[in-house]
Amino acid sequence: MFERYSRQILFTPIGQTGQEKLSSKHVLIIGAGALGSSNAETMVRSGVGKVTIVDRDYVEFSNLQRQQLYTEDDVREKLPKAVAAEQRLRAINSEVEIRAIVGDATPDMLEDLAKDIDLIMDSTDNFETRMAINDISQKFKIPWVYGACVGSYGMSFTIIPGKTPCLNCLLKRIPIQGMTCDTGGIIAPAVQMAIAHQTVEALKILVEDWDSIRDTFVSFDLWRNQYTSMKMSKAKDEGCLSCGKERTYPYLSKENMTKTTVLCGRDTVQIRPPHKQVIVLNELGNQLMALGYKVKGNPYLLSVETEEHRLVIFQDGRALIHGTKDLTHAKSIYQRLLG
Amino acid sequence: MNKIMFFAHLREAVGEESISIDVAGRSVAELKELLANQYQLNQLDTVMTAINEEFATNEEIIQQGDIIAFIPPVSGG
Repeated sequence: MFERYSRQILFTPIGQTGQEKLSSKHVLIIGAGALGSSNAETMVRSGVGKVTIVDRDYVEFSNLQRQQLYTEDDVREKLPKAVAAEQRLRAINSEVEIRAIVGDATPDMLEDLAKDIDLIMDSTDNFETRMAINDISQKFKIPWVYGACVGSYGMSFTIIPGKTPCLNCLLKRIPIQGMTCDTGGIIAPAVQMAIAHQTVEALKILVEDWDSIRDTFVSFDLWRNQYTSMKMSKAKDEGCLSCGKERTYPYLSKENMTKTTVLCGRDTVQIRPPHKQVIVLNELGNQLMALGYKVKGNPYLLSVETEEHRLVIFQDGRALIHGTKDLTHAKSIYQRLLG
Repeated sequence: MNKIMFFAHLREAVGEESISIDVAGRSVAELKELLANQYQLNQLDTVMTAINEEFATNEEIIQQGDIIAFIPPVSGG
């Protein structure tokens, strides 16, 4: 029955026992972009019992250079990524139970999904969702693996509730104007390097080889030949609101979420970040212009034209997305550009 | 002397992979402020800091010879 996993079983730290454990585990993958594609494919090929994958976008041509589950047909059919991913993953391994969810991974959705999950793999493109994953992980005691990449740079860290520091210990608050793949570009090897670090940790967690978990925060720049491994024992913050003694899980509450509203009578969605921000408009404008977007601006706002939409971004982080009434789609466009 | 290393977009903003300056006795927060002013960097408050490859808080005091790395978290995926 395990013929297809024979080479993985020959690897001593996994073995027959590990393979049996893998086949009984349920992995939740948030995001089905570059990281999500590769994370999901590796998990499904390695024979985990069940994979649930959540994504809010559809497949576009600019995805094909690195998002390994998708084809030109998926783009032409404008398939939601979760749906296209599910089809491809089923074709790869019919033994794995696969559930695809087309939608925004809000804290409410994550709470509903958390009940029977053994591991969460981060494959999102924004810190708001990551902070929500982090709070869910602490609340339901589910390990999760942070992974991110932009340009040729990437990073990963494994978070085990009760053992390691959590993402909120490290960042304290959501970084603003983080580099995203839509502003800084991305090359496929950076994705693969982040994935290698995420999936190996996933395998260790799923076969319950806890002593082998990497306890350092890894970051690398493949183009500039840099690799760093940061020890994290001092990072745990006893006062952390996500994992400390008096925890409140702040990122599960409404006031810490991005607000979206359709503007009455207009084909426009307004996006409001949870906290007032100061966006350096000319810097963002230059980045976007370098990428070929049509950008106009003044000291108060930036007007950015993409293929299908026009965005107006204000200095406090508020934005208007013209050309859509779809709240989830508008939020996705916003977070792709602003992180 | 201290070696200060920059990663990702910070490296591009500073224009060098690393610089050498003497900041012994100063806190990480003070060093961030110094660099923010010198290189017009505006996103240092959420950048992670490693001193000798170990995570450091903003309050940590830098010692003679310490190697400091600034690692900006990124959100792409």
